[in-house]
Amino acid sequence: MIHPSTVDPRPRVDQGSDGRFRVAGVRCPSCGEVAAFDWPRCPACRSAVEPAFFGPDGTVWSSTVVRIPVPGRTPPYALAYVDLDDGPRVLAQVTGDGAPIGGRVRLAPPSPDGDVTVEVLR
Amino acid sequence: MTVAVHGVGTSHFGRQPHRDLVALAADAVQEAFADAGGDTIDAVWVGTVFGPPGVAQRVLRAMGVTGIPVVTVENACASGTTAFAEAHEAVRTGRYGRVLALGLEQMSTAFAGAITPEPTDPEGRSGLALPALYAMAAARYLHLGMATPEQLAAVSVKNHAHALHNPRAQYSGRHTVAEVLASRMIADPLTLLQCCPTSDGAAAAVLAPATGGGREVAVRGVALRSGAPWNHRSPHVWGHDLVQRTAADAFAAAEIHDATDVDVAEVHDAFTIGEIVTTEALGFVAPGEGGKAAAAGVTALGGALPVNPSGGLLSRGHPLGATGLAQLAEIVWQLRGEAGGRQVEGARLGLVETMGGGVSVLDGNSCVVAVLEAP
Repeated sequence: MIHPSTVDPRPRVDQGSDGRFRVAGVRCPSCGEVAAFDWPRCPACRSAVEPAFFGPDGTVWSSTVVRIPVPGRTPPYALAYVDLDDGPRVLAQVTGDGAPIGGRVRLAPPSPDGDVTVEVLR
Repeated sequence: MTVAVHGVGTSHFGRQPHRDLVALAADAVQEAFADAGGDTIDAVWVGTVFGPPGVAQRVLRAMGVTGIPVVTVENACASGTTAFAEAHEAVRTGRYGRVLALGLEQMSTAFAGAITPEPTDPEGRSGLALPALYAMAAARYLHLGMATPEQLAAVSVKNHAHALHNPRAQYSGRHTVAEVLASRMIADPLTLLQCCPTSDGAAAAVLAPATGGGREVAVRGVALRSGAPWNHRSPHVWGHDLVQRTAADAFAAAEIHDATDVDVAEVHDAFTIGEIVTTEALGFVAPGEGGKAAAAGVTALGGALPVNPSGGLLSRGHPLGATGLAQLAEIVWQLRGEAGGRQVEGARLGLVETMGGGVSVLDGNSCVVAVLEAP
């Protein structure tokens, strides 16, 4: 019998007491590296890390619209690499018509399926 | 000890669901053995990404290659060149005398279309198909004015034209920039003709100490690295830094001080932007000049530094695990003067670069760069 993994590898997005959404991750006290994942060690220098939260706002590093079939998804859909303020760079779905490079975005509620999601700030 | 490539071989490249990996590997291995003047080998390294468990021994037993050490490696698109790098090191250190490196992949029976994003990876689970990763690099280049859509398309035009002279290539053609840009959009701004196809194939090489033979292609240097974190602090697009670091290692090993001393190169053009970024990261051209170089013919056959004379991944095809050794075979033929209508005249120094990706946060799973010298 197969037991599908129940671990979701995507970054965890929490809603704070201020109502804003933030990515839960880690920060390295040794080298300053940040990651959007709950990893035991710094991916850059192997030091022990501390929990940290990132966001809610960031800047679009780049974006695209995927127009080919991907299992479980309906094209077209917009993706962006978003540099959250103070890092890290996270991959996010974009609500609406896509995100211009350099544009400001804000973490939105994750999609029902659990995707990190951003909305463009106008 | 200097190691040389004594023989190479490949299958045809393309969608070949009617053939199995036993048959595809046999084409490559038999040709490599014949090219090397014998089938004596002491060990085998095999590179494959989606090959099922046991695929290496399954294909090798059909060639009578049994009873010797066989090691299977996976490094995404750089799996074949990883097998080559490890085979090289095994010979260089004297661990084995004569080693076969084999790469193989059958994509047409594994995927209906593009490679399915890996659901255990955060970005694969988030729907990041590989074309989208490269598309975001391309979009960034366009945004910064480091390339134009027409320059992206010029890479596809060039490599499809190169493949007209390669009878083993999956695709070839005389396309125009307008045709490339008008083909179906895959992930903005990359269109279909800017993306490598779904391919099946195998490629192989026999490595042994250099003896000064007239058909031996010496390995001047080879380097392998895995990716480091790529994030908001990196000034470059995905993949650039890993290629640059790996190339620095390979050039140091080869004692090459100027990348433009290279006469011919096969690089990882899974998508048009990949070739542009790679020619910059390798130091063939200045940053931001890769697109201009492609459009101006600098990297075309007849240009100052021809890149992907085989047609590259875009046109020869991209059977993942086989690709690195297919690139190597092309450079070996080029350096021996056996490349027919796509020969780079007088090529003395050749370079192979393969880049594998798919693990988020890192600027690549693995990259291999090798520098080879004519007999």
